[in-house]
Amino acid sequence: MDSHLTSDRVDMDDNETTTKFIVNGREHSLKIDNRDTLLDILRDHLRLTGAKKGCDLGECGACTVLLDGKVVNSCQILAARIKDKDIRTVEGLSQNETLHPLQLAFIENDGGQCGYCTPGFIMAAYPLFESEEEPSTEEIKLSLAGNLCRCNAYGSIIDSVAYALEIKTNE
Amino acid sequence: MSEQSTHAPAVGTSYIRTDLEGKVLGTAEYTADIALPNMLHARVLRSPHPHANILGIEIGSATKLDGVFDVLTPFNVPEGKVAPDVPILDSRVRFVGDEVAVVAAVDIDQAKAAIDLIDVCYEVLPFSTNVHDSLNSASFPIHSEGNLVNGGPLIESRGSIKEGFDQADYVVEDSFTTPDHHPASLEPRAALASWHGTRLTVWKPSRGIHADKNILASALGLSPNNIAVVGPAMGAGYGSKDETRTSVMAALLSIRTGRPVKLELDREEEFLAGRRRHSTYTEIKMGLKKDGTITAVHAKTIMDTGAYLSSGPGVVRRAGQGILYLYKCANVKYEGQLVYTNTPTAGSYRALGAPQGHFALESLSDKASEILNMDPLEFRFKNHVGPEGQPGERTTPRNQIIDTQPVEGGVPFSSNELRQCLKLGAEAIGWDRRDYIENAAGPIRRGIGMSMFIYRGGPGGQSNAEISLDQDGLFTLNVGFMDVGEGSSTVVIQMAADTLGIPPAMVRINAGHTDKTPESPMTAGSTLTFSAGHAAMQAAKDLKDAIINASLKLIGLGDSEGLYLTPNGVKSKCGESISFLDIVHNAGPIKTLASVTPGSKDYIVNSFGAHFAEIEVDTETGHIEIIKYIAVHDSGRIINPRLAEGQVRGGVSQMMGFTFLEDMEIDPHSGVALNASFLEHKSPTIMEYPQIEVIFADSIDPIGPFGAKSLGEPPCIAPAPTIANALYHATGVRINDLPLTPDSVLLAMKNLL
Repeated sequence: MDSHLTSDRVDMDDNETTTKFIVNGREHSLKIDNRDTLLDILRDHLRLTGAKKGCDLGECGACTVLLDGKVVNSCQILAARIKDKDIRTVEGLSQNETLHPLQLAFIENDGGQCGYCTPGFIMAAYPLFESEEEPSTEEIKLSLAGNLCRCNAYGSIIDSVAYALEIKTNE
Repeated sequence: MSEQSTHAPAVGTSYIRTDLEGKVLGTAEYTADIALPNMLHARVLRSPHPHANILGIEIGSATKLDGVFDVLTPFNVPEGKVAPDVPILDSRVRFVGDEVAVVAAVDIDQAKAAIDLIDVCYEVLPFSTNVHDSLNSASFPIHSEGNLVNGGPLIESRGSIKEGFDQADYVVEDSFTTPDHHPASLEPRAALASWHGTRLTVWKPSRGIHADKNILASALGLSPNNIAVVGPAMGAGYGSKDETRTSVMAALLSIRTGRPVKLELDREEEFLAGRRRHSTYTEIKMGLKKDGTITAVHAKTIMDTGAYLSSGPGVVRRAGQGILYLYKCANVKYEGQLVYTNTPTAGSYRALGAPQGHFALESLSDKASEILNMDPLEFRFKNHVGPEGQPGERTTPRNQIIDTQPVEGGVPFSSNELRQCLKLGAEAIGWDRRDYIENAAGPIRRGIGMSMFIYRGGPGGQSNAEISLDQDGLFTLNVGFMDVGEGSSTVVIQMAADTLGIPPAMVRINAGHTDKTPESPMTAGSTLTFSAGHAAMQAAKDLKDAIINASLKLIGLGDSEGLYLTPNGVKSKCGESISFLDIVHNAGPIKTLASVTPGSKDYIVNSFGAHFAEIEVDTETGHIEIIKYIAVHDSGRIINPRLAEGQVRGGVSQMMGFTFLEDMEIDPHSGVALNASFLEHKSPTIMEYPQIEVIFADSIDPIGPFGAKSLGEPPCIAPAPTIANALYHATGVRINDLPLTPDSVLLAMKNLL
């Protein structure tokens, strides 16, 4: 109880480092606290709030982003690990008002209810969408197994990802 | 729909959810996403004790810390209340995690550091973590009036159960328990408050912004006119948000510091300080004649409300509704006790008590059919309540609206397609082969089970809606309800558009701000489609008349006969027309406000359904696999099939957590929650998601808007008894205590041998 609910960070020493990194194609050079997580940096410093804080413990996937193309829980990535990295968030998917096929598929298949998990699911599905493979339903589910949806819109989420893959194949 | 309409109606189509684009783009704003200049961050100090008096709090060191602006304690807050048994802060703490003090600081790290510097002197009190200990006469009272809420049970009855049991050839009885089930919405509670001189604005996840405004006003001693509550996008709550101190604490800190204050709970706090589904202990008894007629039903339920009352009285009532009304029976009695314990508070969670009550009732029905040597489906066909309602005399005066949770007999339903649900489900699952399932050699056993339910059909309280034809020739629907992800905005737009005779894309919705919207019912009790739908339809009807009247002069006609709306404007039978833009340019914007209290003085409006499942049980591991799941619902006319299916599939899957996995465990020796995290409180993931086939009965309710009835909560009622009954069919093992974990299945199988 105490360990979870009370502070683990009392001293506010000079723990700040200037760090360079790229988010959605744009380079940033920011003075950030080494103990900040990528999620805090995105939300508090860059005001990119698409990635959500559902647990801050790497258990729910609501904060999923891409780090050099790999799916990560941004709440589990400390500032030191983003130096010179290429980060992509849900805000970086659509281009010039055009929705990414995954975003379009989530709209057309009603892939979100309350929507709090939706950016995380879309980012978790992104590498699957980019890959050359033609995944089975089971593979789609496996790639999304780290993301929770408490509305349990899982059926529509599976439909959405499958639909996005279908659009891609037909293009 | 008007015959003169020039385009296809929206009702009955899967019109795309209106608020989904922002959600997929990541631009939809939730409370925690909002930041204001000079905003402070708050953090709560929570009780490490399950029950204690706070004798003193030393906050000197905390307030001296750099960047700390304020510390609230029970000794420096005003006397207002968040709920009748919840002061803003209390010098008595009643569960591990209860609020003790709150700090506002420049950032969350300083707030946490300050929390560590607060010294609390506790007088530790005896405590109870379960209802049976709490009810023991020697137990220490958690609230001054004692541990049994109202000093006795809620009692509802029809006829005489004594007479009923006297007529019975058989009596079947059993007891059932259900776990502490946590909604654990993905968005933890949060509140942002900003005080400007005399006016308070609070952003918060809300299922009722107008109700929340009144709570803030009463707690803080402010006039409601000086408060605005804004409901941003909400990361769901399933009925559980908010009912807590969160927004009141943030508001008070903002008033005292003069700066905006944001309070975000973390995941563990959301589990502890949020609201859970009441765990229950139910004893239930049914009297039967040899031919299968039910002569009496009697159930006693004890519900654990935790440290505070919250919406407990409503939940305890709703747990009895299936027991009182699902089966045709002249003699029924339900007794519901609500008991305080030193555990996290229970409150509203999707279907409020109905899943618990139906788990007991529908498990017992299968037992009853076995004693009668009758097929469980046949037993339901024989005994389910029909369109004519229950036997007995109406007691509600003729000029009053019939309650959606009635007890009396003598009142028919406005629509009741339960029989159709049973037939459709039986066909879809292949019930006929149930008696002939052959299990191969090996550990796997296959079984089929079913259960049915009854639930409130949608009439809620007074509902208001305002709709306008605006300067740009489009329409705006102004409503005070919150769409918390269930899609109410979308279906209400569809209904308003069809009433006007225009495409839904021409209707915008404006909701979520108390200053700008009329009052609506809360997003609770599955009422919005029905209540907000009726209000929107009435407002749209009035607006249509007003637009036609305004256009009469402009077109130069004397009589509104034969005038109708098209997507382009008003048209007459003879071909005269005027565009919406021309109407507003000449007559100005036109606005109508409707206020309705929907319901019926002659009929009960209820929703129904039947669920069927085929499962495989691995008798070596205790694992249960769902092979096929069929959910059949009578929710009247379905306004938006895709959204409706999503509600059903999501509700069923959510309740797979209740059925198989979820139980918030409280250590009886310390009162500490042992699994207040997603890692340890297991919720269904996409890997557990079963194929769920949704079937809607052919039903049009004569009272519902466009024939619709409730749907948001009903999918949650039948899953647990359906699976438990299938488990019994597969293995001969009946488990009366949820969740059906592999351990409990194995243990029960061992006991069978």
